[in-house]
Amino acid sequence: MTAIHPAGEIIESEFASVAVKLDHDGNAVRLRVEDLRTGRVRFLDALELESLVWLADGHLTQLLDPSHERWRG
Amino acid sequence: MTAVVPSPSDVVAEVQEGGSRYDRLIQPARVHGTLYTDPSIFAEELRKIWHRTWVFVGHESEVPQVNDYVRKQLADQDVVMTRDKEGEVHLLINRCAHRGLQVCDDKAGNSSSFRCPYHGWTYRNTGELLGYPYNKGYGGKKQLPLGMGKVARVASYQGFVFGSLAEEGPSLEEHLGAAKGEIDRLVGLSPEGKVSLDAGWLRHKTRSNWKFLAENETDGYHPQFVHGSIFGVTGSPIGELYSDNSTAVTRNLGDGHSENDLRPEFRGFAEPMRWFGTTPDRVPHYVAAMKEAHGDAADRVMIEGAPHVMIFPNLFIAEIQVFNIQPVAVGECVQYSTAVQFDGGHELNMRMVSQSIGSVGPAGMLLADDTEMYERNQRGVAMADPEWLDVRRGLHRESVDENGFTIGTATDETGMRGFWNHYKSLMEAED
Ligand code: FES
Ligand SMILES: [Fe+2]
Repeated sequence: MTAIHPAGEIIESEFASVAVKLDHDGNAVRLRVEDLRTGRVRFLDALELESLVWLADGHLTQLLDPSHERWRG
Repeated sequence: MTAVVPSPSDVVAEVQEGGSRYDRLIQPARVHGTLYTDPSIFAEELRKIWHRTWVFVGHESEVPQVNDYVRKQLADQDVVMTRDKEGEVHLLINRCAHRGLQVCDDKAGNSSSFRCPYHGWTYRNTGELLGYPYNKGYGGKKQLPLGMGKVARVASYQGFVFGSLAEEGPSLEEHLGAAKGEIDRLVGLSPEGKVSLDAGWLRHKTRSNWKFLAENETDGYHPQFVHGSIFGVTGSPIGELYSDNSTAVTRNLGDGHSENDLRPEFRGFAEPMRWFGTTPDRVPHYVAAMKEAHGDAADRVMIEGAPHVMIFPNLFIAEIQVFNIQPVAVGECVQYSTAVQFDGGHELNMRMVSQSIGSVGPAGMLLADDTEMYERNQRGVAMADPEWLDVRRGLHRESVDENGFTIGTATDETGMRGFWNHYKSLMEAED
């Protein structure tokens, strides 16, 4: 068994490393996602996750452009 | 037979003054030692063979899921084999379009896109450039007509993926020619008509020119000498098939491909699964599934067994395992090897993995013995005298089979001569 990271289960590749776990602190359950390389955290609720599932591939691809948000300059 | 073995002086007399460089080095019954040692010939081989013809790279089963990728080698090129979100397989050259960094470092992974660690340029797993950080430096988004390099042509046959770095040339099916039927034979041994090469590849660095391997794979003259230990330990009957009493044949399949066809021997015994060293009662589920799939033809398929074929320049299917040979330098290459896995053939698959470990694993007894020969061959051929390697064995007793292919006996050098014919035609082509 792999040791459990305090931030949850780890999803990683050579390009990125994040931890995910369910967070029960709010009035409804959310997904807590932590970017393990920077410590930045985002919570995603059910509706946001559903929207991700329905996001067109092209839109998801746009988000992967490094200058879309994080390195916009 | 009254035919006479050609003497060296006959052979020399055949060579015309003023022929090409390769007319002098490659003759019907002998080849020159510098073909294995001259770095300028190796450089020319990279251009005219490895960067031009179809080269085996990997198998579709190595990237089973959408967005899977594996690092592979195509001669001196570091290649990433990917499966995109539509399921299509690509061969990308592992080089960033910005300043040339190697983009992927892991041996395998799953990612829809690759981000170069140097300045963050990001590519789809088709090689298309998705974006770069701080885009004002390039006048905005999507301003650069760049992407990762790609192997110019990618095609697969029965899941075996080949790449050609040349934009134009014969199609993969044309290149494979008669060797296609041998791949079909292998696949026919799967009850589902499909093989996987997903058991993992062993990687053997070999200090030898790649051609010694390609020639040796269908050299039926050496097994009784080099492989005596594994035949002895395993009690394998295969060694007997490589002798002057054998009815097996060595076949020049054309286009540089050749095989040791053991079917005449197995047909004589007419025992299903003998080729695998077992009997139907020991693999009952497999035999039942084969009968289900092939009906009356199942017995013939299970009697004749798997092919032993060398597909030019680098794919060797040795019954239960597959070798992928990649050159590194004039005196060095890498042999990747893996066990064949038949979809729907669980009972055989476990045995094929353990047999492969026994033959080509780190303590295996087959590949290590061959490799000792390859490396001693490389050392020997660097010596000054004699200058030539003899490939005349069986020239006087070759014949043509019912399909028009040249065949020799089980121990003849018919396959090597086919290899050199094709090699010569490629090396004599324009740069
Ligand atoms: S070299 Fe790849 S982003 Fe600069
Ligand atoms: Fe620096």
